[in-house]
Amino acid sequence: MGRAIVITSGKGGVGKTTTTANLGTALAQLGHSVVLVDADIGLRNLDVVMGLENRIVYHVVDAIKGKCTVQKALIKDRRLENLWLLPASQTDDKDAVTPDDMRTLVFELKLQYDFVIIDCPAGIEQGFKNAIAGADEAIVVATPEVSSIRDADRVVGLLSAADVPARLVVNRISPALVKRGDMLSQSDVIEILALEMLGAIPLDDQVIATTNKGVPAVLEGKSLAAREFIRIAKVLSGLEVEAEKSVGFFTRIGRALGLSATPA
Amino acid sequence: MWQGIKTFFTGKSSGEVAKGRLHLVLAHDRTGLDGGKLQEMREEIAAVIAKYVPIDAEAVEIQIETRNRETQLTVSSSIQPRVV
Repeated sequence: MGRAIVITSGKGGVGKTTTTANLGTALAQLGHSVVLVDADIGLRNLDVVMGLENRIVYHVVDAIKGKCTVQKALIKDRRLENLWLLPASQTDDKDAVTPDDMRTLVFELKLQYDFVIIDCPAGIEQGFKNAIAGADEAIVVATPEVSSIRDADRVVGLLSAADVPARLVVNRISPALVKRGDMLSQSDVIEILALEMLGAIPLDDQVIATTNKGVPAVLEGKSLAAREFIRIAKVLSGLEVEAEKSVGFFTRIGRALGLSATPA
Repeated sequence: MWQGIKTFFTGKSSGEVAKGRLHLVLAHDRTGLDGGKLQEMREEIAAVIAKYVPIDAEAVEIQIETRNRETQLTVSSSIQPRVV
């Protein structure tokens, strides 16, 4: 039986889809079978981030409504042996599916894949409820900004009420800004949200460039962001037990800055 | 060094300001208490205290703050000495 992980944030535009694409791809690179599920019905984007937009025939709503089998709606990523995408519908509404539908679908996928990674829509309404319904655990993505952290906190509360254990990924952290005292450090974010930390993705031009091409950063080069995504994937798959240990350089900087940024 | 100079002149770095704002905003979000309700509570608490000891109702302060997912409500008030 596989594991279903929902990637969520509350706020839009903080990097949920990018995180879903990169963690999923990295897990597949590590040899796991992975299916990425785009739960953002009506505003699908995981397909373009993965570069698979031209191959969609059926989608998640078709599969749920029985217009096709789940298998038929899945798109195989040709770059890797064991990576699949279940795209969202672009024309349906969020309430075209129910939490029960999602629970059944995710359960079925968990029987066939090691990891089911669900890309949650922004917001905390129906789409969010659908996306977390079948999840065993959650990754909350937050950028080091007041608005993002505030929304992440709401989501953490809702996940805890739904009994979904959550861990944190801080995205787009800029060591230079943290050093200057003009950005919350990763330890600030952990302290405020009181969540277990999975990792911190540095702000990285490479992610923008690879996303333009429809290639997850982890498939191309060894950018800082890609390396951190791969490390987080190892933690998720249990290959790396201690989340903090091998962050090494980046975490040490973060810690040093976290301390020096709070002289009071 | 630069951080030190900047902090000396401006008081706080923008990161610290953000942190302080978040502690306050999250305390309100988590409890669902807005400014109006908090004010109302402050007045009622002041009235209760005033039943037992002489106080200046305006000097009663109420604050909610959150650390590690725990939210604390603090009421502070100075009490006037007993007039013999």
